[in-house]
Amino acid sequence: MATNPMHQFEVYRIGPEIKLGEIDISFTNASLFMVISSIAILLVFNLGTKKNSLIPSKIQLLAELSYTFVSKMISDTAGSKAKPYFSFIFSLFMFVLFCNMFGMIPYTFTVTSHIIVTFMLAAFIFIGVTIIGFMKHGIGYLKLFVPSGVPIVLLPLIVVIEIISYLSRPISLSVRLFANMMAGHTMMKVFGGFVISLGIIGGWLPLSFSVALTGLEILVAFLQAYVFAILTCIYLNDALNLHH
Amino acid sequence: MPKNTFKTRLEIAKNKLLKKKLYQDNQPTSSLGTAFKMSTELVAHVAVGTIIGFILDKTFGTKPWLILIFFFVGVVAGIINVFKSAKNMQK
Repeated sequence: MATNPMHQFEVYRIGPEIKLGEIDISFTNASLFMVISSIAILLVFNLGTKKNSLIPSKIQLLAELSYTFVSKMISDTAGSKAKPYFSFIFSLFMFVLFCNMFGMIPYTFTVTSHIIVTFMLAAFIFIGVTIIGFMKHGIGYLKLFVPSGVPIVLLPLIVVIEIISYLSRPISLSVRLFANMMAGHTMMKVFGGFVISLGIIGGWLPLSFSVALTGLEILVAFLQAYVFAILTCIYLNDALNLHH
Repeated sequence: MPKNTFKTRLEIAKNKLLKKKLYQDNQPTSSLGTAFKMSTELVAHVAVGTIIGFILDKTFGTKPWLILIFFFVGVVAGIINVFKSAKNMQK
């Protein structure tokens, strides 16, 4: 068994090597876990919406609860104008949540602990929101960078600052999810290693720590998916209802 | 009149619900989430400012100056952003 705590983040190829020109598009363990979480989501919602009984079964309850949760989140943060984007935010939330949760099972791979995955999601959101903003407001969307009631002297500085804060959105969005998942999983592995190295006498303390950390990590896995989705809603709100 | 009393009772109950909802809206939905949000945003602003400065330096060939300026602009942007979030939380 590998004692290196970073070993769990290694991406390796499964099956044959596939190349598209210069780009390696082989099926890896990361792709496997993305496929697994997507299939799990489809399964839960297919089974959950199959039989619309008045007294819901457990799986139907899960599907309905997550629907209400995301629906309430969107209407609270982005208003009724954001209703058409429900399906996008819902699938985003479920995908991140399921990837995080699958990573909590021992011997699995956490897809969201790789910055390229989270950055791709964040960049997609960023570009999409920018396009939506320009479609809804035309060139007036640039008013987002010019807050009202600022003296003329300070305006150039404020505009630069606003542009920096707009561009930092995809970075903060992706780094947050990636860093939380990676740090948590590394810490769990390190404490697991302490249990082995301290043996049966001293190993109980890190073991209890590991148990506590597992609970915390499940909380973080849910919370990060929630934060990811709610920030998408906030950015969408900025694009749909221009305040400045 | 029993119908009237029911109406007033319904009105009172609705008002209560509305008040409760307003109160809930004021509560931060998740303080831990807000903490995560603020900490990463502070770092991301500085990073983006530095990256912009680096790119501008490369295009204009003014090696150390723009990266320095934009680093500090990024720091200012990050701090202003945290201030804004804190103000929103107190609303």
